[in-house]
Amino acid sequence: MTIWPDISFQDRIDTSEFRIHERAHITVNDDSCRGCTTRECVVACPANLFVPTSDGGILFNYENCYECGTCYLVCNKEGAITWTYPEGGFGIVFHRT
Amino acid sequence: MTIAVCIKWVNYSGPVESDTPDERFAGFSFADQAALEWALRIAENSSDEVLVLTAGPVGAEAVLRDALSRGAHRAVRIDIDLTSDSSVIARNLVGAMSQPRMVWCGDYSNDRGSGSVPSFIAADLNIDQALGLVALELPENANASFAAVRRLDGGRREQLLISGSAVLSVEGSTVRLRRASLKNTMSASKQEIQVITATGGRMDTPALRPYRPRPRVTLAPIGLTALERVKHITDTSSSKGHGETVHAEPSAAATLILESLRKWGYLP
Amino acid sequence: MTDADIIVVGAGPAGSCAAIAAARSGKRVVLIERGPFPGSKNMYGGVIYPRILDELIPHWFETAPIQRWVVRRSTMVLSDTGALNIDYRSNAWGQAPYNGATAYRPDFDNWLAQQAVAAGADLICSTTVTGLLRDDQGRVCGVSTDRPDGDLTASVVIACDGVNSFLAKQAGLYPTADADNYTLGVKETLSLSKHIIDERFGVRDNQGVDIEILGGTSGVNGGGFIYTNLDTIAVGVVLKLSKLSAQKKRPEDIIAELKRHPAIAPLVEGGQVVEYSAHLIPEAGLEMMPKMVADGLLIAGDAAALCLAAGIWLEGVNFAMASGMYAGQSASAAINANNVSANSLKSYTDRLNKTFVLQDHKKLRKIPHLVLSDRIQHKYPAFVTGVVERMFRVDNPTPKPGVRRIVSQERKKAGIKLSELVRDALTGLKGFG
Repeated sequence: MTIWPDISFQDRIDTSEFRIHERAHITVNDDSCRGCTTRECVVACPANLFVPTSDGGILFNYENCYECGTCYLVCNKEGAITWTYPEGGFGIVFHRT
Repeated sequence: MTIAVCIKWVNYSGPVESDTPDERFAGFSFADQAALEWALRIAENSSDEVLVLTAGPVGAEAVLRDALSRGAHRAVRIDIDLTSDSSVIARNLVGAMSQPRMVWCGDYSNDRGSGSVPSFIAADLNIDQALGLVALELPENANASFAAVRRLDGGRREQLLISGSAVLSVEGSTVRLRRASLKNTMSASKQEIQVITATGGRMDTPALRPYRPRPRVTLAPIGLTALERVKHITDTSSSKGHGETVHAEPSAAATLILESLRKWGYLP
Repeated sequence: MTDADIIVVGAGPAGSCAAIAAARSGKRVVLIERGPFPGSKNMYGGVIYPRILDELIPHWFETAPIQRWVVRRSTMVLSDTGALNIDYRSNAWGQAPYNGATAYRPDFDNWLAQQAVAAGADLICSTTVTGLLRDDQGRVCGVSTDRPDGDLTASVVIACDGVNSFLAKQAGLYPTADADNYTLGVKETLSLSKHIIDERFGVRDNQGVDIEILGGTSGVNGGGFIYTNLDTIAVGVVLKLSKLSAQKKRPEDIIAELKRHPAIAPLVEGGQVVEYSAHLIPEAGLEMMPKMVADGLLIAGDAAALCLAAGIWLEGVNFAMASGMYAGQSASAAINANNVSANSLKSYTDRLNKTFVLQDHKKLRKIPHLVLSDRIQHKYPAFVTGVVERMFRVDNPTPKPGVRRIVSQERKKAGIKLSELVRDALTGLKGFG
């Protein structure tokens, strides 16, 4: 079996171009997340944007978002994740997909 | 009168490196965006027209249309090979401006260019330049002079008062470019863009040499033995008059300092 | 007077085709795209079947930015160590009138949108549509955007705003957004020289290969794919959303594991990741489709869940282009008839019903859920590869066992009941019928 060095997650994300806007297009409701035990978003988000904090909350990033919509669909807490498209012209820009 | 804004059409710093900008992945830097915003703000309070200029092939017109949609009045594209010398590009830009009241540029571009075009423009127009501005305060009267802060090396800042015609280059952090309205975006796609074919050669620049500080003359050490001579140039135990404390009025203190420096050989 | 006759939201394959069709019939069309250029937000699992373009853009294949023409179509079933590959090759697919093609979506979608511009549509990029405008009777009469002074009115709005379609949801046309109906596609674009790709995949010039994979997704229901571009290959997986989070597996780890499979590793070896991408797929077909018509509003493409994910058939761009074209035509016809009510716009769904767009979906109605069911996903790959392994393994001096016995033994080993096998076979036969 061939083993080759897999790239780090950061290197993987760095292959994509993101035009980052100052407005966060994702927000999470801290109260809902503190009561959440399943944390679907943490596993499913392909950009790994949701990070559990030691005090039981969820830290979220929006800068490297692929704008797929996985997070709000897998989340089983109504209203925990508010998700809109980023401002026109900003966000992910694919090149060779 | 005309307020000119020069914007550089460059690739965004995306993951795919390419020498020639691709229309889809190119735009203009935050610094150029800030330059455009300042020009638009000044024009709002005056009867000036904002003229945007860029250099490059047809694809570069995308950034001009972007600028038009945000409120620029007129756009000119210099049809030129982008590998041309900065002075050639600057001279062609100046040729398309006709007596501008001000020229705004970004302080840097995404492709890490030399940043020399603004200086060349100032030289060719024979007007003042204020480059690398990090803060500005626009006056209420658009024609009045206004204060700006310029970045110098080593974290220092220089306060400037800008009046009359000048070439100004600004950093991207100074201001955020406004968003274009939907109606302007739609009309900008049909607005005419003047195309000027580039001409002319390089500008003459004086021959420059690297800066070398003048050597300080040090007298040969005095002493009979080698040990004494070494001690003479290295020994710190004996006072040479350095580190004297004096109390004096500022003007007298300045004179004293100059005298001391002369005595120690730092000044001629 | 409205700002436009027709507003098309989203300049993907559906939106651009809608805009072309509407502009050709003389309508004032505004095509709004939220990305900086058409295609900048789009990725997919690899093959476009552009024959539907014959109607809109004759000789499309002369100008379309195609990477390779698919002449080899493989379906692969992976067990932990084995792989069964059913491979078909047709060099005829590499010549006009062509069949499937691989392309970069930022290239292809941009090209298609330029055709709409050439047809007379106004393309506005970098503009996100934030909602629908309604008149006093509740009919859709335009859109609001995130630009200053950003409202735009029109007689008809065609929402081609993709899988997340906030417009269709806002219009109340989607009953609920159930994570069970969606899959997540993640993909790596790997750079390899054209020469190596040609050799590894047994193709020449601009011939290409598309491999669809069942199994190899680390126990998460879904599938995989590999296809060739000119000097890159794409490898990716499609993962059922509800299972992905339940299994606690990260998408990029599942790709990495697929790439390490002994049947896949030699194909992707040495390929450097030049781009990573992710997108949702409306997987459930007919089961999840929204109402596609309202007063002054039509829905097309992924926004209408018009994506066929039926195991061996994985198509979406062609459904998008077709539905967009029909939507553009129906919208124009309704405007000509001076009646843009839902009833008048219904000619759109009639067209969809009469053509492959909904016929294929109806025929294959049960297949998407069958393909993603736990049994097909977790038991059949081992069963199928087990049978083939035993059939071709020469255990001399033991004589060859009968095929029926192998099937029966392997079925039991994989934990599939005979009744289940019969039921799945019948569903499959009826479904693929």
